[in-house]
Amino acid sequence: MTVVPPAAAIPPPPLGPTASLLRTTALSHTYPDGTTAITDLAIEVPRGSVGLVGANGAGKTTLFRLMLGQMFPTRGTIEVVGLPVADDPVGIRSRLGYMPEHDCLPNDQSAADLVATFGELAGLPAQAARQRASDVLDLVGLDEARFRPVGGFSTGMRQRAKLAQALVADPELVLLDEPTAGLDPVGREEMLDLVGRLADFGISVLFATHLLDDVQRVCDHVVMIDAGRLVVAGPIEALVERTGVLRVEVGGRADGIEALVSALAERSVAAVAVDAHIVDVDISGHGDEVLDVVRDLVADLGLRLYALSSRHHSLDELFVEAAQRP
Amino acid sequence: MSAVAPPALGGAVYDRGYRPYEGARGGRSAGRWALWRLTLRRALGLRRSWRQKVLPWTLLGLVTIPAAVDLGVRYATRNTPLSEIGYEFLTFRDYVGVSTTLLLFVAVSAPDVICPDRHDRVLPLIFSRPLTGDDYVLAKVGGIFTLVFGFSFFPQVLLYIGQMLVNEDGSLTYVGDHLDVLWQVPVSVAILALYYSVVSVAVASLTDRRIVGGLAFLGVLFIPAIIAGAIVEATNEGEGTIFGVFNLLNLPLMLRDVVFEGQIDVDRDSGLSGVAGAGWAALLLYVAIVGTGVFVLHRRYREARL
Repeated sequence: MTVVPPAAAIPPPPLGPTASLLRTTALSHTYPDGTTAITDLAIEVPRGSVGLVGANGAGKTTLFRLMLGQMFPTRGTIEVVGLPVADDPVGIRSRLGYMPEHDCLPNDQSAADLVATFGELAGLPAQAARQRASDVLDLVGLDEARFRPVGGFSTGMRQRAKLAQALVADPELVLLDEPTAGLDPVGREEMLDLVGRLADFGISVLFATHLLDDVQRVCDHVVMIDAGRLVVAGPIEALVERTGVLRVEVGGRADGIEALVSALAERSVAAVAVDAHIVDVDISGHGDEVLDVVRDLVADLGLRLYALSSRHHSLDELFVEAAQRP
Repeated sequence: MSAVAPPALGGAVYDRGYRPYEGARGGRSAGRWALWRLTLRRALGLRRSWRQKVLPWTLLGLVTIPAAVDLGVRYATRNTPLSEIGYEFLTFRDYVGVSTTLLLFVAVSAPDVICPDRHDRVLPLIFSRPLTGDDYVLAKVGGIFTLVFGFSFFPQVLLYIGQMLVNEDGSLTYVGDHLDVLWQVPVSVAILALYYSVVSVAVASLTDRRIVGGLAFLGVLFIPAIIAGAIVEATNEGEGTIFGVFNLLNLPLMLRDVVFEGQIDVDRDSGLSGVAGAGWAALLLYVAIVGTGVFVLHRRYREARL
């Protein structure tokens, strides 16, 4: 049996004048009751899979609403897929798919009807919408349940149906708001697999969540916000590289760790003793030569080197550190 | 003898991958039409279980029964002069809004097309499409308007064509004698349909429970009608009172009478006999109520919330 790949590579959908997926300048939004949801947000995010990370109330949903043209910023500008939202706040939605966090499906419709309806609402002709509904339900694994009422679906199936309606009109960008919320571990894995495949189909993803593990698994870039302010943004690989820690385990002298920390400090390398035998050396901002420095110092101090392992920060640590900075 | 490679098995798994859509796309108007079609389907119970079809189709069937009965009687007595039949046929004017089943249909279907969107929190999905709140209102009101208009107009067409065909003086004579009806019926049916659709959808938009929406719609029409009726009763017989115009149940029928007869209170039972300017008052009240309904709907859906 042979597996036949797709006949041709899928061309990426046309983007606007710039390749940015999302670009904001001094973006601020204050609700009529005085609550400031976003403050001076300035980010530029390339296309691909992007994680939007923040705690509840951080401003993720407000940012989605601004992207969908459902609200206007109090100050600043916002461009989505290269197009200023203010120029055509309704038309921009035909380029986007949206999967809300909360339950939002009409219970008495079948999955096929539901997804086709949302295809039609996005402007697809009725027949094309039904065909697309069939295709995307197949894609999300609901092909056998397509004629069942959504009201009888499990949480995982409902999440898939929500994803299918977001994809039915073949958007350039899908906004996913906590797509793994409420899913069991298996369901979560399957949803992450699906989300991870979207970029391969030429569909960019903005994935809002407070679960950094999910972002690290499926996204290339991350934007972290807290209380409406940008904490950190950039390619995940670069962020975790740059904030790496070298864990050094030594033996020998009783005061060996203190001596090593002091010696490293003299060479402008920050280090923290974890216990009597382990020290974490901050290698961010240093090149590979810092490894030689550590090795040489351990030898000079007469210590025995048991282990030298590079340890990168997780996104969780990065978020906490960055959020705590003044 | 060399070994022969076995032939490749015939089966193949085709990974179709994801196929982007490259066909035509409509804009806002396409979305609006889709929402309008969805409203019609939902109100009629199409693509839904048979239980959801029973009530609307029964009510709509009942609307047509008087026309069918009239037509049957007229056909059975086609060789008898009208004056000798001894049966009072419905006039086109009578048929506009004559059936309370249409009112019941609106009380059932308007909340059904509005309330679940709010109850099931579907609105954020709808407004993530290229649609505004006003598009949504237009499609929903338009859907109910279309159904009320269609099911008020269809029996009239049936009645007209049937009477034309069995007319003892010939079909063309019948058409010539009833030319006015050709504009009076659609105009008065449109007045009724606009009133029912805007008021019912506006009232239903204020709640996410269908039963509350339906009862509230009936209450909005019946309670003022009862109060206005009591005031009319309390006045001296023969003397009209302008309060009669606040019978909101009959308000579109008052305008129907203006369209058909050029005057209000044709049947002399509205309590508006001899009241100067009653027609204008009815028209103003009609415009105010429909305007209020539109305002409520615009405010209710002015901002699409996630």
